[in-house]
Amino acid sequence: MRSRLHCAGWAIAAAALGGCEGIQSALDPAGPHAALIARETGYLFAMAGTVFTIVMLALAYALFHRRAGRQPVADGTLARWVGGALAVTVVILLVNLVVDLRTQRALAGIGSDEALSIEVTGHQWWWEVEYVHEQPSRRLRTANEIHIPAGRPVLIELRSADVIHSFWVPKLHGKHDMIPGYTRTIRLQADAPGVFRGECAEFCGHQHANMALYVIAHPVEEFDRWYAQQLLPAPPPADAHAEAGQRVFLSKPCIVCHTIRGTPAGGRAAPDLTHLASRRTLAAGTLPNTREHLAGWVLDPHSAKPGVRMPQNRLSRNELDALLTYLEGLR
Amino acid sequence: MTEAERPVIDAAKLPSITFGYHGTTWWATAAFMVIEGTTLIVLLVSYVYLRRNFVEWPPPPTALPDLLVPTINLALLLFTIVPMALARRAAHSLDLHGVRVFLVSAVLLAAVTVVLRGFEFAALNVRWDSDAYGSSLWMLLGLHTTLLVIDLLESGAIAALMFSKGREPKHFVDVEEAAVYQWFLSISYVPVYVLIFLGPRLL
Amino acid sequence: MSTDEVLASERRQLDETWSGRPGFIGWLTSVDHKSIGRRYIVTALVFFALAGIDALVMRLQLATPESELLGPDLYNQFFTVHGTTMMFLFAVPIVEALGIYFVPLMIGARNVAYPRLNALGYWVYLIGGVFLWTSFAIGVGPDTGWFSYVPLSGPEFTPGKRADVWAQTVTFTEIAALIAAVEIIVTTFKLRAPGMTLNRLPLFVWSMLVTAFMVLFAMSTVATASIMLALDRLVGMHFFNPAEGGDPLLWQHLFWFFGHPEVYIIFLPATGMISTVLPAFTRRPVFGYTILVFALLTTGFMSFALWVHHMLTTGIPHHGSSFFTAASILIAIPSGIQVFCWIASIWSGRPVFRTPLLFVAGFLFMFVMGGLTGVMVAAIPFDQQVHDTFFVVAHFHYVLVGGSVFPIFAAIYYWFPKLTGRMLSETLGRWHFGLFFAGLNLTFFPMHALGLAGMPRRVYTYRDELGWGDLNLLATIGAIVLALGVVVFAVNVVTSLRRGESAPDDPWGADSLEWATSSPPPAYNFHPVPAVGSRSPMWSAPPDLPQVTGLAFDKMEQLVTSTLDAVPDNRQEMPGPTIWPFVAALAIGVTFITSIFTPWGAVLGAALLLPPLLKWGWPKPKHEVHA
Ligand code: HEA
Ligand code: HEA
Ligand code: HEC
Ligand code: CUA
Ligand SMILES: [Cu+2]
Repeated sequence: MRSRLHCAGWAIAAAALGGCEGIQSALDPAGPHAALIARETGYLFAMAGTVFTIVMLALAYALFHRRAGRQPVADGTLARWVGGALAVTVVILLVNLVVDLRTQRALAGIGSDEALSIEVTGHQWWWEVEYVHEQPSRRLRTANEIHIPAGRPVLIELRSADVIHSFWVPKLHGKHDMIPGYTRTIRLQADAPGVFRGECAEFCGHQHANMALYVIAHPVEEFDRWYAQQLLPAPPPADAHAEAGQRVFLSKPCIVCHTIRGTPAGGRAAPDLTHLASRRTLAAGTLPNTREHLAGWVLDPHSAKPGVRMPQNRLSRNELDALLTYLEGLR
Repeated sequence: MTEAERPVIDAAKLPSITFGYHGTTWWATAAFMVIEGTTLIVLLVSYVYLRRNFVEWPPPPTALPDLLVPTINLALLLFTIVPMALARRAAHSLDLHGVRVFLVSAVLLAAVTVVLRGFEFAALNVRWDSDAYGSSLWMLLGLHTTLLVIDLLESGAIAALMFSKGREPKHFVDVEEAAVYQWFLSISYVPVYVLIFLGPRLL
Repeated sequence: MSTDEVLASERRQLDETWSGRPGFIGWLTSVDHKSIGRRYIVTALVFFALAGIDALVMRLQLATPESELLGPDLYNQFFTVHGTTMMFLFAVPIVEALGIYFVPLMIGARNVAYPRLNALGYWVYLIGGVFLWTSFAIGVGPDTGWFSYVPLSGPEFTPGKRADVWAQTVTFTEIAALIAAVEIIVTTFKLRAPGMTLNRLPLFVWSMLVTAFMVLFAMSTVATASIMLALDRLVGMHFFNPAEGGDPLLWQHLFWFFGHPEVYIIFLPATGMISTVLPAFTRRPVFGYTILVFALLTTGFMSFALWVHHMLTTGIPHHGSSFFTAASILIAIPSGIQVFCWIASIWSGRPVFRTPLLFVAGFLFMFVMGGLTGVMVAAIPFDQQVHDTFFVVAHFHYVLVGGSVFPIFAAIYYWFPKLTGRMLSETLGRWHFGLFFAGLNLTFFPMHALGLAGMPRRVYTYRDELGWGDLNLLATIGAIVLALGVVVFAVNVVTSLRRGESAPDDPWGADSLEWATSSPPPAYNFHPVPAVGSRSPMWSAPPDLPQVTGLAFDKMEQLVTSTLDAVPDNRQEMPGPTIWPFVAALAIGVTFITSIFTPWGAVLGAALLLPPLLKWGWPKPKHEVHA
């Protein structure tokens, strides 16, 4: 409701369409952090809108008023007006500062009883996601999707494996840079179950535009089920065709870069594919996760994502078909 | 008041050689010192900033820089101030002989400091491409050396001018400028020396 | 002989002494601030057109989702070259160019303080610009953004030469900027007409003076940083390499310690232009001279305390960044003062609605809007949402195009008669203003909404389902309208040059000294050298102003005055035309460009540079001196 209001305010202020709905809008918050920021945004727009209107009215008056006999205004009068405007400016700016500091304090105060902690590492151009757990066997590595329990804060540690990226899920929080050599921690919380899109915000080279991620908030029990399921190794191939596909996978260079738990493939340079088929998209939001797109991707990833750090693959029709069946079985 | 009664500023009576901030040359020298000073400060700050990324400075197994040659050179650089000051004084009184004597000795001294500078690089005991520590040291010393060489060439050229036929009185102003610039270089070497050669011992 | 005849014959003599050589050689060897300033202005405008066309192509790419016009490789070069050109080859150079042309005229001098150095600065700038655009044309344009963050621009992630091209372009243009700054400072301090005390200095000159001081500190910083980057890339240093103790954030600090003052380096001279244009079109001196000077000085100082507001998402401890928020908010005070004083001047004056005034009004609209979004993004939480999105792109185009390009156009319409002896067409001027103003708002206003809707900047493509298509299309249409405005301007300039109404000495009845001489000014600018007794020398001169006599006619002599009070102090002989600055610039060019390929380039360059510098400084044999 509140966000609706902000949205209406903004729409009037900006007389612009779009921007308010959608899974990547800062004006449609879905968590306490983003909501606080949206509130500050509302204040800032009101402030800026008012000041702009007043100054423009003054300008219009100055330009167009009819002067009786065009008497110049005395400098003393001018000085009083300028001084008054200045005083008002100072007051507004102080209010700004107070609002800003209070918003920061409120942000820092949001829930610290984290349900879990997750390490997210930026790579050119995908996201490595690792759930932390004291028991090594319960640590979980995945990619490009972050699943969280709704209504609980989660702690996120941000790192980079190469250049600077920036982690940004507008509906949940502002952005935070991932800088090589540094680790930053932030908290996220989703009020209700839902899907929120995020995008890398710091220019990171060729495919900066195709480096998206999804945060998916589940009800707590559903999240626990998801977690338990993801911890399992990849399901064994369901039939002979899929098994042939697994052989293709294991005999091709795929294993140099990719991991599929439960098989000898243990590469760490690329997204973990153990439960690939459970993900919504391929290659960090570049393609929907369908058989056709998967086929196109495996044969030539560069046509969808030019410059990507995965080579093209030469596969016969049969090999490809089997491989796809295998990959699609990785639920 | 008519045209004829207006007061007159007779420029012909004004001097055409002036020293110090009366003339324009002094201001250019000052501006270039600001530019180079800023550059040095940027490098000094970068050095301190990068220091925070290391536990030990220099990072083991890098050896500490040697002190002997650098200290001698520091002393020499500071000493060069003296003949330069004398040359400047001579220039102020348009004393050609004095300028020749002192300027040439200052230039010779400066040449020695440039040669010694070569050994200072060896005294760093680290390569520029081994780590950020090495890069900081080389960059600081490298910048100061570049300025030192440029200054040597310039003072040398001015000294040569003092022996040439084309010399005009206004070139005495250049002598002053060379002196001021040399002082700047000598004094600015103090913080550079402290950070490069003492920093690894103290920080 | 009557006084007039005497004056005429003296002027003929001066003209002979001060005029450069004719023809192409004359063009290469000229050290006259007017001829250097003119070509500086034209070159900067050419780069504006190039970078603008570059922006149009970007806008076409972004007009529709998943467009196939440019791939990532080209798009990344396009926005990097656009930003780099606009900032380093257009916005800063053009204000310096106007400064080099008009500061001496406004203070009654005959040239800048170091004419040969001035020529060198122009040539270095030209070589830097040509180098960037040639590289772009042959496919090695830089592609890491106008602030080239490391490690992306470091040796590991940008092998090849693209980032080197960027670093060297920056070094070239910084050298040119530093030279221009030294010229402006010394010219203003030492070459003012007698009686032009500092508190009678025209506001444009004040703004250039403050800017020049900022340039000294800011440009030295970025030139050092770009050299550090080049060394990381070329000889394997590790300033920015986290694996060897280097630090990517060091680059950000150094860059923005320059980058923030940079935007005021662009903006302050523009405010000076506003304060210069207003008196002529409101028929009164600008209200609040002293407080405007105070605003310039505080903005200049404070701008060095704001750089971290470009790094609010890097995770710098919050109490630290709150300081920078406070500083960013406080800088609105001097800007507010300026805006209020200008509005007050218009209010109490009698506005004359000619094209320059239209651009002033447009400036106020655009700049206040951009300034207010600036105050918004200074708030840390809000900035964490909009940083690196199109909201920020909107902010900075409002302030850059609105706050700087508008005043520059106002100044060009205002000074064109002085520069060329011809008036620009008023009708075309209005069309230019209308299209430009409408186009700008159409282009950049929707970007606020795009940013809030989650669109990051520097993306070559976006998905249809995100719903950003409509606003992007609108922005692209706006950019085309905007471009039409620029075309009208170009047509106006070209036709007016050919058959524009010819301009009298002082077509606007303006108040400052450049209007005291002919349009365009003669080679020696003024004879007799003016003396000044008020802030508006063309409007009010005390009757007992002294007259300056005694400067030589057969030598290029310039009166030097004292720094604060402009009391005549000495005479200086100015150098005549020479080829050596051009040759030295070529040598500098060879140095920088070859050193991209081998560190020995620096050595080679030094060897090449030495002879021209020696020839330049070495006194000429007597018989040549007056040739
Ligand atoms: C001419 C250039 C120019 C100017 C003048 C400004 C002016 C200001 N800018 Fe802007 N800025 C840029 C050019 C400029 N900027 C550029 C190029 C970038 C992006 C670089 C990049 O990332 O590529 C940028 C980015 C930028 C950022 C970083 C955003 C980000 O990357 O996330 C910030 C944050 O604080 C900021 C703040 C400000 C502020 C507070 C002002 C203030 O000076 C504005 C003050 C003016 C006013 C406020 C209006 C007039 C005042 C009144 C009418 C009085 C009444 C006002 C009040 C009561 C508030 N700017
Ligand atoms: C002074 C600085 C300045 C100016 C004037 C402009 C002007 C314009 N800018 Fe630019 N811009 C920047 C500085 C500037 N910009 C910077 C610093 C960046 C950041 C870069 C980065 O991220 O690294 C940026 C980024 C930037 C982007 C974001 C790219 C991205 O992040 O993906 C966009 C997108 O729309 C854009 C558009 C425009 C447009 C449409 C104009 C228009 O105003 C241009 C208007 C001009 C024309 C349209 C030219 C018309 C000329 C002709 C048609 C030729 C006629 C000539 C003859 C006949 C002789 N700019
Ligand atoms: C040289 C390393 C390398 C090799 C070999 C390689 N990949 Fe990849 N792969 C990557 C990288 C890097 C990515 C992430 C690309 C991106 O999104 O930017 C990726 C992404 C993928 C994805 C999408 C993953 C996701 O989470 O969206 C699939 C599926 C995939 N690869 C399958 C394969 C298959 C099948 C093979 C072998 C036939 C293979 N890869 C070989 C590096 C490699
Ligand atoms: Cu990763 Cu942009
Ligand atoms: Cu800034």
